[in-house]
Amino acid sequence: MTRPPIEVDHVSKEFGRFRALDDVSLAVPRGSVLGLLGHNGAGKTTLVNILSTLSPPTSGTARVAGYDVVRESRSVCSRIGLTGQFAAVDEQLSGLDNLVLIARLLGAGKRAATRRAEELLQLFELTEAAKRPARSYSGGMRRRLDLAASLVGRPDVIFLDEPTTGLDPSSRMGLWQIVETLVDDGTTVLLTTQYLDEADRLADSITVLSSGKVIASGTAEELKAEVGQRTASATLADPADAERALSALTAHGLNPVHDQERHVVSAPVDSSRELAVVVRALDEAGVEVDGLGLGEPTLDDVYLTLTGHSTGSAVRSEERKNT
Amino acid sequence: MTTTVHAPPTTPESTEPERGNWHGANFPTQIVVLTGRSLRAMLKDPQIVVFSLLHPLIMLTLFSQVFGKALMGSIAAQTDSYINYLMPAILVTTGIGAALQSGVGLVTDMKNGVIGRFRALPIRMGSVLIARSLADLFRTALQLVILLLAATALFGFSPEGGLAGTVSAWLLALLVSWSLAWVFLAIASWVRKEEVMQSIGFVAMFPLMFASSAFVPLDALPGWLRVVARVNPLTYAVDASRDLCLALPVGAGVWSAVGTSVMLLAIGAAFAVRGFRRPL
Repeated sequence: MTRPPIEVDHVSKEFGRFRALDDVSLAVPRGSVLGLLGHNGAGKTTLVNILSTLSPPTSGTARVAGYDVVRESRSVCSRIGLTGQFAAVDEQLSGLDNLVLIARLLGAGKRAATRRAEELLQLFELTEAAKRPARSYSGGMRRRLDLAASLVGRPDVIFLDEPTTGLDPSSRMGLWQIVETLVDDGTTVLLTTQYLDEADRLADSITVLSSGKVIASGTAEELKAEVGQRTASATLADPADAERALSALTAHGLNPVHDQERHVVSAPVDSSRELAVVVRALDEAGVEVDGLGLGEPTLDDVYLTLTGHSTGSAVRSEERKNT
Repeated sequence: MTTTVHAPPTTPESTEPERGNWHGANFPTQIVVLTGRSLRAMLKDPQIVVFSLLHPLIMLTLFSQVFGKALMGSIAAQTDSYINYLMPAILVTTGIGAALQSGVGLVTDMKNGVIGRFRALPIRMGSVLIARSLADLFRTALQLVILLLAATALFGFSPEGGLAGTVSAWLLALLVSWSLAWVFLAIASWVRKEEVMQSIGFVAMFPLMFASSAFVPLDALPGWLRVVARVNPLTYAVDASRDLCLALPVGAGVWSAVGTSVMLLAIGAAFAVRGFRRPL
């Protein structure tokens, strides 16, 4: 099969008068990860729901693993795994029973189902908790079980809908490693996230959604280049130095801004060499500094650059539309 | 040949399925597996069974003790003890309460994402509903047996219809419960809101239960309430159950209760499956 495992062709989705997705097209090549980036209400989950056959598109077509998500939904279902935003495990069943249930529904015999379940429990380091009801699991364990459940049938395509939201850093890291193993194995992954660093770490390419529209796509590097600059920021030892710091930086050709609450002066910089310029400028002006940092562009910066307005207002205007 | 030689398997059974090798279980297997899932959850958490028994047990105790003496006169034509009069009604009302719980349970499942996962599996959605209704039916059957045993041991329930009458009333209550479960599953799969399902219990079920022949004979009700009770389908289900239990002449009442139940079941199932298929 030479077609890409995920193909989205001019898909729109309307809920009443609200347009959740607006003419979205994308393709994900085999064995790669597409990071779908966007804030709440941007349409990420709507797209995942369409691709996992949970809801049909209003217009346009989508194919997953070569099958049409509307006309061949059952074939799609037997080749995908879905891990939702909220861990969808049966709280009352044990981890083992949860996985056996999925395997049995997929058509495995009792013994094969149990063996597959045990294998996955081991892979996800849940063997010790295998017999305990899932309701006693921690958030991280639950998320691992949920991911394991979506892998039971060795799917070609996996949808991860904000898989690390609400997880502690070490659980996050563990999940990332698992995803990387899957991809090395040839699985195609569509990952939605609000975190640029997550997309940066996992995704081969990134598509940014805003208000249901694709506003940018490319590799993480390309996006960052588009967003441009990183930000150098200096925390002032003496708040009274703010004016002096601003004029010193301006004199060196930078565009500094002053955060009065946190006593931070910051300026966009093109390279780490320019960070040195900032240091020198402040030093020459005799401004004493408590802390100095170089910030990576955030999703907010991407939004700001691409849409011309900040994410906060984008989300708010969308909420207004919803009501 | 004295020993059986087991040929080594030609292809070692792989634990990992080949990609896309499992295409989904067949329909009966789906139902069996899903019903098993619900029953297993129930066995692991028997509190649910016990807890949902509290309500009918309290009603049984209160009503038999509070109304027992006062009502003896008006029910004398049917039986010689109030517990015998009350128990057939408790079977039906408990069954209806359990039916409502089916709907509530479905909404809960839809909310916590389990149904979402099932939807993304290559299975039929109808089997999810059938499995739930079967598991709940099993639970209700068990509850009613416990109630009957309790009524017999604690309150001296011994109906004129004997074991045969009691078993028929039990079966009738289960049929009513099953058919209403489908009605509530239908409502649940269209409405999909927990609060709505819960309030149906209060707003619709509670008044219907009392404006009926369940606890007192119709003659004991004030005129306007008697009119309500006459058109209340619950009255007919309770009367049918009572006819069977108390060895009263079994007339058209039982058959119309059975017929109505089957009809509700068919309509409920049709709407439930259709509603349930709608996207989340």
